[in-house]
Amino acid sequence: MPAVLLAVLISLPFWTPSRYWVSVAIQALILAVFAMSLDLLLGFGGMPSFGHAAFYGMGAYACGKLFPQLTGGGLLAFLAAGMAAGVIAALPIGALAVRARGIYFLMLTLAFAQMVWGLAFQWTSFTGGTEGMSGIPQAVPDWLQEQGQNVWPALRTAGPFYVVALTVAVLAFAGLTAITRSPFGRALEGIRENEGRMRALGYPTYRYRLAAFVIAAAFAGLAGATTALYNGYANPSQLYWHTSGLVLIAVIVGGTRSLLGAVLGAFFVTIVQLVISSYTEHWQLLLGAVFIAVVLFLPGGLISLGRLGWLRR
Amino acid sequence: MRLEARQISVRFGALAALASVSLDVQSGERRALIGPNGAGKTTLFNVIAGELRPASGSVLLDGRDVTSLPTWRRARMSVGRTFQRSALFPRLSVSENLELAVRRGALGGRRRAVPDRLAAAGLSAVAERPAVSLGHGEQRALEIELALACEPRLLLLDEPMAGLSGAERQAALARLRDLPRSVTLVIVEHDIDAVFAIAERITVLDHGVRIADGTPAEVRADPRVQEVYLGRS
Amino acid sequence: MNGLVFAGLVFLLAAGLSVIFGVMDVLNLAHGSFYMLGAYAAFAVVSRTGSFWLALLLGPLTVGLIGAVMELVLFRRLYQRGHLAQVLLSFGFTLVFVDLVRSWFGPRTYGIAPPPGLGGAFHVAGANFTKYDVFILGVSLLVGAALLVGWRLLKVGAVLRAGVSDKEMVGLLGIDLGLVFTLTFAFGAALAGLGGVVAAPFVAIHPAMDDNVLILALVVVVLGGLGSIEGALAGSLLIGLAYSFGTFYLQEFSIAIVFALMAAVLVLRPRGLFGIRT
Repeated sequence: MPAVLLAVLISLPFWTPSRYWVSVAIQALILAVFAMSLDLLLGFGGMPSFGHAAFYGMGAYACGKLFPQLTGGGLLAFLAAGMAAGVIAALPIGALAVRARGIYFLMLTLAFAQMVWGLAFQWTSFTGGTEGMSGIPQAVPDWLQEQGQNVWPALRTAGPFYVVALTVAVLAFAGLTAITRSPFGRALEGIRENEGRMRALGYPTYRYRLAAFVIAAAFAGLAGATTALYNGYANPSQLYWHTSGLVLIAVIVGGTRSLLGAVLGAFFVTIVQLVISSYTEHWQLLLGAVFIAVVLFLPGGLISLGRLGWLRR
Repeated sequence: MRLEARQISVRFGALAALASVSLDVQSGERRALIGPNGAGKTTLFNVIAGELRPASGSVLLDGRDVTSLPTWRRARMSVGRTFQRSALFPRLSVSENLELAVRRGALGGRRRAVPDRLAAAGLSAVAERPAVSLGHGEQRALEIELALACEPRLLLLDEPMAGLSGAERQAALARLRDLPRSVTLVIVEHDIDAVFAIAERITVLDHGVRIADGTPAEVRADPRVQEVYLGRS
Repeated sequence: MNGLVFAGLVFLLAAGLSVIFGVMDVLNLAHGSFYMLGAYAAFAVVSRTGSFWLALLLGPLTVGLIGAVMELVLFRRLYQRGHLAQVLLSFGFTLVFVDLVRSWFGPRTYGIAPPPGLGGAFHVAGANFTKYDVFILGVSLLVGAALLVGWRLLKVGAVLRAGVSDKEMVGLLGIDLGLVFTLTFAFGAALAGLGGVVAAPFVAIHPAMDDNVLILALVVVVLGGLGSIEGALAGSLLIGLAYSFGTFYLQEFSIAIVFALMAAVLVLRPRGLFGIRT
């Protein structure tokens, strides 16, 4: 299934009717990276964060704050800055938050994220306040800008940033897949299933949970940096709890404990948000209703429908 | 591994769960810890394993004071335990459960040990099933095997026989009898036959107080034990 | 707005949130939506009948009814699945309610006038009060007192408190816990609805009004201690003070400080600053 999805995404600029669909795909890919990072925390680690936007927004703000210095370093410098910002924010926040469990973890992550949002929103002299920061360059490498269009003519209309977004998403998927399948990932699942037993088996569970929190924040920061580059700005709404809620919806609707599920959920949410919204005003109603239905009747998310179909065949 | 618990006291609010209880278990010894419900047996296990900090007293392993070490550090010093209510990883497969145990908190290899462990516990046939789908007897077998897979030198078993059928009980007993002398065994068990079959010494707790400590014959003859424990059951 | 009045309003919301959490262990993220529904109900009633007092009766009733239906039909299915599923469910409703309100009333902002007789203003000790401010304070004090008394003395309170500490015990006593939960959820929703009606004459009624209020109520409940009425009262006062203090002296950091306080309490005293041991 990942191969099919990848083939569809790679070929997208060739068959898509317009640049609009490429822009939808770019935003879906960015949300997919963000959602996969949350799934590491929620699905694999059993930590329901309601403040994951803090790290996404930090990634975007790092690009906004540092773009004069980062421009020389090109695309990689921006992406690295986003990940670093996520890590730097996640170390102190995580050190305190992962002590809590369940609903308390949820509220604590929310509180910290809203604190970061409050700073971005009010500390105008440092963060740009409600306006945020704009003028961030797309930082698409020159060779991609020039040569890519010759090799891949469709990109002339689609925008070379699609290549950037797709590459980031594929690498994030590969990286997170490796992490979840590693002994570390298995241990994280063990902690989700039974933390006390893991301690009794010799696992320093606090450190594992903190490590997961920081890794998830790094990937959220990567997604945030990508969105800042694509849109050219960082603003407080990227840090607001609505953003944390939206990515949570993506993960739950797509299916927790499956990175592919998170990707699926991200595409679903983006399509509802961007495409359905052009046909009806009531995209939130649709999204909310689907979300409620999934929570009630399909705890495994949309991805579990696919698995059922697979088995029946 | 030698275990010394010195004058352990634990309070839960107004309740004295353990009042200055001492336990000295020699390396390689088989010790049973018995007493009526609420005597403080599991509490003492939690103190030894590191889940509970005692209000006073100290825990020594091979002479080293570990009272302030967290659970996972003691586990890495080869303290293994089982839980009264099976503490498995419900949604992971049986072999994934054991994989976590053979790694003993590290991220390194040793996965190759898993098939042997499955065979030893008689769980090879259900290796790929999630732990939650096992029957009670199989869950108890996995519960014990998780602790054994860590190759403990001190093994704390909390009612390993609870709820087992006769045949399962015999199998579990045989598995415990076969343990090498490099393992020190402390077992909490209500099944008195099993206790007398395994234990070389028996410690009796009642209401958080140690009321007897000796060979099975001594404990059996102890009038306080007969009054408090055997008499009641 | 006066910090004290603000505190009174926040209390109405926080109390309902706290009662629902205390009894059912459900963190109801749709609580802000209930407040919004209350305010729209007030607008609907006042614009049709012109009577604020009728709105004060019908608003909480309607919202309470909605809460009861939600609990009966949906939340009930999730008790076996744990708290996270319920939190998520309530979060889904925030999206649904926003859009429902927008489809019924449109994206416009509405306002209603204070009821006749509560329009004027006066000075006390150098501070400006409107008569309506005093009304809000009165309502929240009344609700607070009734809750405290009910929580402590009445049989309802005893059952609820038992529900908090020992659900199996309540079941053994032969009390229908399902009914208790339905009533609790409805009651909490009605309190939020009351908050919405009471707030309607001096806030802008629009589809995004649920948002700030939910987070504020959450902060208060966390500060005061989840499930504690006294805590909700004290937490509201603290937030009211912080609100008036913050707007004057620490404009750049007032929001961050409030949430830092919330985080600090969750880390250091998860039972809340005023949490009472059960």
